[in-house]
Amino acid sequence: MTSKDRILTVEVTDTDGSTFSLREICERGDCHAEFVIKLVDYGVIAPLDEVPEMRQWQFDVAALSRLQKALRLQRDLKLNLPGLAISLELLDEVQDMRREVDRLNQRIRQLMGE
Amino acid sequence: MDFKDYYAVLGVSESATPEEIKKAYRKLARKYHPDVSKEADASDRFKDVGEAYEVLKDPEKRAEYDQLRKYGTRDDGSFQPPPGWQSASGFGGGGYTEADARQFSDFFEEIFGGGRRGGFGGGGFRQSMRMRGEDVHARLALFLEEAFNGCEKQVSFTVHEPDDQGRLIPRQKTLKVKIPAGMREGQHIRLKGQGAPGVGGGESGDLFIEVELAPHPHFSIEGRDVLVTVPISPWEAALGATVTVPTVSGKVNVKVPKGATSGRKLRLKGKGFPGKHPGDQIVVLQVAMPEQHTAEAEALYEKLAELEKGFNPRSKLHV
Repeated sequence: MTSKDRILTVEVTDTDGSTFSLREICERGDCHAEFVIKLVDYGVIAPLDEVPEMRQWQFDVAALSRLQKALRLQRDLKLNLPGLAISLELLDEVQDMRREVDRLNQRIRQLMGE
Repeated sequence: MDFKDYYAVLGVSESATPEEIKKAYRKLARKYHPDVSKEADASDRFKDVGEAYEVLKDPEKRAEYDQLRKYGTRDDGSFQPPPGWQSASGFGGGGYTEADARQFSDFFEEIFGGGRRGGFGGGGFRQSMRMRGEDVHARLALFLEEAFNGCEKQVSFTVHEPDDQGRLIPRQKTLKVKIPAGMREGQHIRLKGQGAPGVGGGESGDLFIEVELAPHPHFSIEGRDVLVTVPISPWEAALGATVTVPTVSGKVNVKVPKGATSGRKLRLKGKGFPGKHPGDQIVVLQVAMPEQHTAEAEALYEKLAELEKGFNPRSKLHV
């Protein structure tokens, strides 16, 4: 069912400089603008600091990836918006704590000279 | 093909009520959701749970499955549907499912059929419209040195591509990617047009790679700064010294100030992560003692104890 592609060498075209307008982020997330606006209202995702002359929201890759995560959680676990907001916050907290535990364990190993 | 015991997957008995099945599904879906669980096989478990629920929640499919369960399994545990088997409740005839049926197993496909037809009950819909390809998100673990200096890495990921009949077929893609220097944990790289191909002339999706850093035995990372603990001898701490310390980009000499203590931090400007605003390296000093002393050294320590007897290292403990 799966076949291996030949290996292509590609150049990185963009690192964190990628931004998406509301329309683009909706297209990529396959969702309505109303849903994105509600996520912004609930503080689940945030547009980048507004550039006055652009007069429109711009989202970064992290926001896109968070939107897609929110859509998966909503679809699979039937979460409503407040549920989504709190789940994503708690998941972030868990991830931060896991990273911190890993980092501290690593520091302990370094200090113990292991 | 192996038989899939959907009751075992959900941890319910054959006589479970629809309510019990729903409850078990909800619990396991939360537990194994790939965005929630960190278990390595979470994604597979989640798919199994979804597939099991898709069948057992529907009285018609459940009845068919129960029949097959009775007659389809062989003594060796393998499974073959009875000759001429055709599902009455499957997806082939335009059946509807909320779940992503293209993720389901060969076993499911064999019984209920048609699950991989893109979830639209046929190929015509997809072929007749223009649609942008899906974006694909992948993670890439780098060693600190690789992230620091930039490197070339191979990235493998799965994309779903439509075949001639419009069925979505998973295909493994492998790319060699030049990673720029100075990538940090959680940063994304975007490769335009390397995601799933578009349908009906739609543009391809993008590939987003999120960078993860493998733990390093000596260095740890805080934002753009790199931390390293450097042991020094008691006399280097007392008298000050020039010591050699490692940085990610090579060794440098550092002046330890006179009277240094354990935990004292020295900042090496610009020796952290490279970039527009490069980070610093933070050297944390740690006073290390020799494991054994000669008689002569012990005598000197005794002399030191006499000279420094006013010093109480435990004064903060009020003892």
